[in-house]
Amino acid sequence: MKRFFTKLSVLTFLCFLCMNAALAQNITVSGTVTDGGDKTPLPGVGVQVKGTQTGTTTDASGKFALSAPANATLIFTYIGYTTQEVLVNNQTTISIELAESAQDLEAVVVVGYGTQRKIDVTGSVATVKGEEISKQASTNALSALQGKVAGVQITNSGSPGSSPTIRIRGVGSVYGSVNPLYVVDGVWYDDISFLNPNDIENMSILKDASSQSIYGVRAANGVVLITTKTGKGNISINYDGYVGYQNVTNQVEMANASEYATLVNEQAGATQFPDPSMFGEGTNWFNVIFRDALQTAHNVTVGGATEKATYNFSLGYLKQEGIVKRNDFERISARFNGSYQATNFLKLGYNAAVQQNGTADMPGGIIYKAFTAAPVVPQFYQDGTYGDPNDFPIGNATNNPRAQLDFFKQNSKNYRVTGNVFAEAKILPELTFKTSFGGEFGQAEVLGYNQVYIATVAQRNDISQLNITKGDTRNWILENTLTFDKLFGDHKLTLLAGQTAQRQKFYELTASARNVPYNTDGDLYLSLGPIDEDNPRTITDKGALATYTSYFSRVNYAFKGKYLLNASIRADGSSKFSGDQRWGYFPAIGAGWVISEEGFMKDQTTLNSLKLKASWGKVGNAGVPANLSTLLINQGPKFTAIIGGQPQPGANITSIVPPLTYWERGVGTDIGLEGTALDNKLNFELDVYEKRTEQGIFRIPVLTSIGLDDAVIIGNQATYRNRGIEVSVGYGDKSESGFGYNISGNFSLNNNKVTETVTGGNPIYSGGASSTGGQLSTRTIVGQPIGQFFGLQVAGIFQTPEEIAASLQKAAKPGDFRYVDTNNDGAIDAKDRVVLGNPNPKYTFGLNTGFSYKNFDLAVDVQGVAGVQVYNANKGLRFGSENFSKDFYDNRWHGAGTSDSYPSANIGGGDNYKPNSWYVEDGSYLRIRNIQLGYTLNNALLTKWGAQRLRVFADAQNAFNFFKYKGFTPEITNTSPIESGIDNGIYPLSATYRIGLNVSF
Amino acid sequence: MISINKINIYKPLGVLLIAALVTTQGCKKSFLDVPPQGQQEATQFWVSPEDATKGVNSMYANLRTWENTAFAPMGVESLGSDEAEKGSTAGDATFFNAFDDFSLSSTEGQVKDLWKGQYQNINLANQVLDNIPNINMDATLKNRYLAEAKFVRAYSYFRLVRAFGDVPLRLTVPKDASEYNLPRAPATQIWAAIEKDLEEAAAVLPQTYGPTDIGRATKGAAKGIHAKAALYQKKWDLVLSLTNELMTMGYSLLPNYEALFRVPNENSSESVFEIQSQKIPSITGATTSQYAQIQGVKGVSWGGWGFNTPTQVLAAAFEPGDPRRDATILFAGETTPQGDVVPDIVGNPRMYNQKAYVPSSYWQSGFNEGADQNIRVLRYADVLLMNAEAANELGNTPLALASLEQVRKRARQGSSTILPAVTTTDKTALRLAIWHERRVELAMEYDRFFDVIRQGRGVEVFGPKGFKANRSELMPVPSDEIDLSVGVLTQNPGYN
Repeated sequence: MKRFFTKLSVLTFLCFLCMNAALAQNITVSGTVTDGGDKTPLPGVGVQVKGTQTGTTTDASGKFALSAPANATLIFTYIGYTTQEVLVNNQTTISIELAESAQDLEAVVVVGYGTQRKIDVTGSVATVKGEEISKQASTNALSALQGKVAGVQITNSGSPGSSPTIRIRGVGSVYGSVNPLYVVDGVWYDDISFLNPNDIENMSILKDASSQSIYGVRAANGVVLITTKTGKGNISINYDGYVGYQNVTNQVEMANASEYATLVNEQAGATQFPDPSMFGEGTNWFNVIFRDALQTAHNVTVGGATEKATYNFSLGYLKQEGIVKRNDFERISARFNGSYQATNFLKLGYNAAVQQNGTADMPGGIIYKAFTAAPVVPQFYQDGTYGDPNDFPIGNATNNPRAQLDFFKQNSKNYRVTGNVFAEAKILPELTFKTSFGGEFGQAEVLGYNQVYIATVAQRNDISQLNITKGDTRNWILENTLTFDKLFGDHKLTLLAGQTAQRQKFYELTASARNVPYNTDGDLYLSLGPIDEDNPRTITDKGALATYTSYFSRVNYAFKGKYLLNASIRADGSSKFSGDQRWGYFPAIGAGWVISEEGFMKDQTTLNSLKLKASWGKVGNAGVPANLSTLLINQGPKFTAIIGGQPQPGANITSIVPPLTYWERGVGTDIGLEGTALDNKLNFELDVYEKRTEQGIFRIPVLTSIGLDDAVIIGNQATYRNRGIEVSVGYGDKSESGFGYNISGNFSLNNNKVTETVTGGNPIYSGGASSTGGQLSTRTIVGQPIGQFFGLQVAGIFQTPEEIAASLQKAAKPGDFRYVDTNNDGAIDAKDRVVLGNPNPKYTFGLNTGFSYKNFDLAVDVQGVAGVQVYNANKGLRFGSENFSKDFYDNRWHGAGTSDSYPSANIGGGDNYKPNSWYVEDGSYLRIRNIQLGYTLNNALLTKWGAQRLRVFADAQNAFNFFKYKGFTPEITNTSPIESGIDNGIYPLSATYRIGLNVSF
Repeated sequence: MISINKINIYKPLGVLLIAALVTTQGCKKSFLDVPPQGQQEATQFWVSPEDATKGVNSMYANLRTWENTAFAPMGVESLGSDEAEKGSTAGDATFFNAFDDFSLSSTEGQVKDLWKGQYQNINLANQVLDNIPNINMDATLKNRYLAEAKFVRAYSYFRLVRAFGDVPLRLTVPKDASEYNLPRAPATQIWAAIEKDLEEAAAVLPQTYGPTDIGRATKGAAKGIHAKAALYQKKWDLVLSLTNELMTMGYSLLPNYEALFRVPNENSSESVFEIQSQKIPSITGATTSQYAQIQGVKGVSWGGWGFNTPTQVLAAAFEPGDPRRDATILFAGETTPQGDVVPDIVGNPRMYNQKAYVPSSYWQSGFNEGADQNIRVLRYADVLLMNAEAANELGNTPLALASLEQVRKRARQGSSTILPAVTTTDKTALRLAIWHERRVELAMEYDRFFDVIRQGRGVEVFGPKGFKANRSELMPVPSDEIDLSVGVLTQNPGYN
């Protein structure tokens, strides 16, 4: 009852306010708002009578009409455009052009559950326009962000269709989902690789905790808000397309066959190959599997608006060949956006995307196999049969990658329908209710057929097997928000209250059958395989289900546009946690002072705007597996015993769980200064931040003597923080002669430090497994960066037996690493290990430039990281006679005096493979990320062809890379931050060269 | 205007209220209560008799894991001996050389794997022992299951104590973090725990099983491993009494020594305990032992990787004409009794372990080569030789000679010209004869290294290979384990 009365009184109060507005003396003003650039009408532009709450928005053809006092000032606001104020001055028709804003503080930016003028934002929000993304060769929208935004580190993966890793202000979460939350038109996603970059209108990256906090539950690793294109003005048709190719850059040169044979002899300490020189160059296995790969994309967008409705339709096609043969990727995407102003207070709309992609997969580890394959083995023998490593004295560790590639048949497909429907009701001019129901229906399928073949002694298959995997994603999200927006004299107030519910379901079914015939693809049905004891048809499945429910509220307050206060709170409940830990509460607060509005700034003309801001907030991460504190039964097939000559299923308990797992919390503080100067030609932003991850959840190794299946425990393990500085400066101008340019640079410095671990003063060791021959190579300890490399310090190479006899490593052989006894205890052991490097980049930077002169435009982007190390595990990851790099051959120890830095070919033996300083290399790089030259045809010609605009371009992405690292690329896709920067999954970097066309009709 | 507004207001407000109501409904506790998906909670386990059976099965299954049967045992339990060397090609898996020349360091992965494999067995057994007592089930079966778990636990500690000496002694599942990090218990304490488990197991386990339970630990298995544990501790009285008992339990030597190691003769009358393995086509993801694969003939599809190969020293150790030489060693170029040709490829080994040989007729692509081979953990011949040795040590020479002769007689395969009966009554000479017999009878069965160590002859026999007294007798404690224990675990002498 009490709540009802409160509501009633609010209502009365609101009605009273409306009445006030209605009492003034007015004239009717109407007009059209168009884009200052391409002159298209702008629908949805906010038109407000300054100092009042009277306002409207332009309709689909950019038209508006409202009644306002004859001496009023109208304020026009629109996302991505500079806000303009126009004096009515008794005019009844006012038509204006809005200028697109770069980083202008008057611009409106998308924030969580709403928009704000950039000048009113007290957190740290970076915006990137769709065209900045779509003009690049990147097939994934995130990849295009590389080097564009301060504090956002993008690490690309070269494999087609895959997503890059993105880290906003350093390491956030360690375990589970470590990626940001993506909100596309109000629907939440973990990954946006399905999104056609061409469909993006605008992207906002919420970098600080106070702006992320309204998304509490999933915001710990940052939030990226994406708005897709909507139709405006008369019907327009755009075509954007390109064709190009990708090739491997910085390919590691391997030892050739005779060099390899020499190394095998040296490694074996015996003559395995009596005459290494007879092999000559041999096989370059990289050339066998790599190719120059085609990449082409075509996008058509049709959009427009009528008085009451907007519509936009886009169709995109992408084909990307992988740099490894056979590895092709194809994506077809369609997007439909529309809205309809049903009544003067009710607007209905929808966003929908349908997408399909298919990949011809490559065999797992094929690049590693090519890296290790013996160059003495030919691709094919003279008689056309496959070269067989078994015919050479080189052990079991390598294969014939060509055969592996030839007999591999697996294709993956993904289908997705996603989007939302929404209704927006303007209950009062000040009060808007919005409800949105969205979701995602996705299906992933993998079809693999392992055919019968005999390639070599070890590479053969006598029983065919068909494997089919189908995975279903079914997610929905319901959101209701109520926004109240009001100006009371000098007080501007926006209140937001909202509620959401979410369900995320995943289910995957895997089945296989043997001896399925294969004459055509139509034979690939499980049911065509026989069923008997030798031909079982197997089926397994797995799934995940999580639910969330949340409440949130926010207040934005500004006094005289000078003093700003923003505060929010979100309460999230998640099925992933239980008991008292089920609900998490995430508050945030921010304050700003617009110094340029102060009286004492009035007389200066250099600065156009200047704002000082400070904010603090809490965020959480529910992107961890469900029920972390629930002990489960291990019913793995490996527990099938043979008893009485028959398989008997087994099960047991083989793990430990912490008694309680809490929400992982991120706490962030941001202090910033931003402004524009020199007639808005210069903009700058400086932010100092701290981002702390409290009770971070991750898996750490535990004693194997506990007897677990996997000697790890997952729980709240450590608290760590990132502190840093971000600077962005941009300058743009256009001279009288028509020469325009803009230059923007960004630089960020980030320091990571662990402040608390569950192991107390004791380190958390990690980075083991196969990457380092099982050796733990990283250490996470209080007071140091997370996951720093840890191992022995190499002093040099033992040259002679005498030198060894006089050393502390009596078991060593000449050519082995000589280690430093760092603690001077007369023994080389684990206590001598020291910090060898830091996998967390200290500096990231980007420089983006654009130039235009008459019909030409040129853009050059440079990007890089510095102050980071990489652990080149590939050098020591050896089981037998794998190939070596040419660099190793040239510099190796092979007899007294030949090298004091590189070991002998016996690098996988003795103590050489222990984590040590030789494996740690500088991971800094500088890259010409993008060069693009465009030419826009002049109008006269176009009109003849019926087109509005036509531009041709040529560009090169990643064409020039500068680094010292000895692997393919120092961009190592992070796995877990406690074992990041370890290079053991070689995938080369590639460059893309394209020519393309943009046409508008 | 007011009235218009009012009408317009109420409708959306109603919608809002309904929406709020719907969502409040949705936020009831049940919406957020989601059970684990496709994974059963541990609280649902250890409830029914079937759970008990599954728990016991898991222990047996785990005995054939990679850590229990493949590279780790090969390095730790075989390569230090003078009978075996790394094998394969010279440059392949060179980390094994450190076992061969005793230059081992505490970071060696195979050492860690053996440690891990045994403690996994121990955890599974401890789970069974902690939880089955509370299950409401047939008391006889329950007691047998508990006895089987004690056997597996004792066998695993046996492998640990002879390899590492002092090790953490874990006899229950840890209840909380305070029980995770245990210090090493003295070897004497480990031996005592092994003996207690085996005694208790032997008291309950049946002497034989019906056909559907073949492969489970028997009374004889418990007594046999117990005898071997006593042998390593030089408890001669105990060795003698246990082996005497075993000699009345119906075991017999299989007439054909070569055939003993072939698949059809698995779980034969000579078998005291075997780790069971075979191809499991019906269950995706079920693992098979890679014991035979890693030792299989190199360069043929049905063979394997060619590791753990016999040495010339072993080949020369057999007495003239001993048929066991040819039954133990596959020579490059030979044709096996089953008709397979061992290829002779330059750079590949000259000899292979024939006891791990699985004929090509068993090979099926898609499965590990030799997946059908059971591992003969303890054979009756070993029992007889333990009996002979204990009898000799205790002065019962006639028994010693008789037990030894049983083994040699079978080895002769009916020939009268080879392997003459040992007749010496000199205690020392007879001891050496028994040790020799162990060496050739049990060759390539992962017995030699620890046999020589317990005989106290490490430097004498392995010295030329680099054996170092007061170091090489034991394996290093894995350095990662010491790291993770933050100094609670100590290192063995001579390692750092």
